[in-house]
Amino acid sequence: MFNFEFNSLSEALLMQSQNGQNHGIYVWSVVLIVTLCISISFIFYKYKIKEISKKIK
Amino acid sequence: MYQVDRAYPYILYISMALYVVSIVWGLFLTPEDFVQGNSYRIIYLHVPASFISQSLYMAMAIASAIFLIWKVKLSVYLVRSIAPIGAVTTFIALISGSIWGIPTLGSWWVWDARIVSTLILFIMYLGLISLHDSFSNHEKADKFLSILVLVGSVNIPIIKMSVEWWSTLHQPASITISSKPAIDLVMLYPLFGSIIGFTGIVISLVILSSKLQILKRERNKLWVKDYV
Repeated sequence: MFNFEFNSLSEALLMQSQNGQNHGIYVWSVVLIVTLCISISFIFYKYKIKEISKKIK
Repeated sequence: MYQVDRAYPYILYISMALYVVSIVWGLFLTPEDFVQGNSYRIIYLHVPASFISQSLYMAMAIASAIFLIWKVKLSVYLVRSIAPIGAVTTFIALISGSIWGIPTLGSWWVWDARIVSTLILFIMYLGLISLHDSFSNHEKADKFLSILVLVGSVNIPIIKMSVEWWSTLHQPASITISSKPAIDLVMLYPLFGSIIGFTGIVISLVILSSKLQILKRERNKLWVKDYV
């Protein structure tokens, strides 16, 4: 159940499927987009709360 | 507000840890799919976002009904706070679905019932934010926002059932309440983990967004001055 599916980092990056296609570009693009969206949202709200707190003070 | 502030780091860090572990598990430790190859691993990011984008709208609809019936101000603040986060999660669902479509459907976009109804959900989120911000009178804005959210909630069952009602390219749901999951357990466990983890992260975002909304709307109240 917990076998590592890839033998090296480059294999994990490329994620070559049995049909020969490299799917890493699709998977890693999605990982990047999700990480960016979540991080930017947290930074945005933290900044806005800080800004309005200063104004109220 | 003080209690929520205390709970916030626990919710955030526990859910973030669960999400990261589940994603790592899904990306590196689950076997390749026989049909879709390694591209299926996008499921661990796409499904949680898609599930949350619809759940958030339902939460908005419930909060809107509470506001319209009992005039609880906090519930309409919640509606306004959820909308931008709903837009972000729907955006993630649409983009990840499009990217997943390239290796599996051969196209990044198809005018398919599930995809179009999700696009409508995204436009609705943006529309609700713009509508609320376009009013100078807060009371009117809150009322219109709540009514429109309730009207728009008709889109949620359409999104859910679109793969059953129409012939679509989008695959049917792999997990249903009434039948055995169509996905192997080895792949299912990290999927559950990522859904729960992502839900926690989104709840943390909703807490921040609600806090901002309350500070904006109640800024002249004495308790807010004490709080900040």
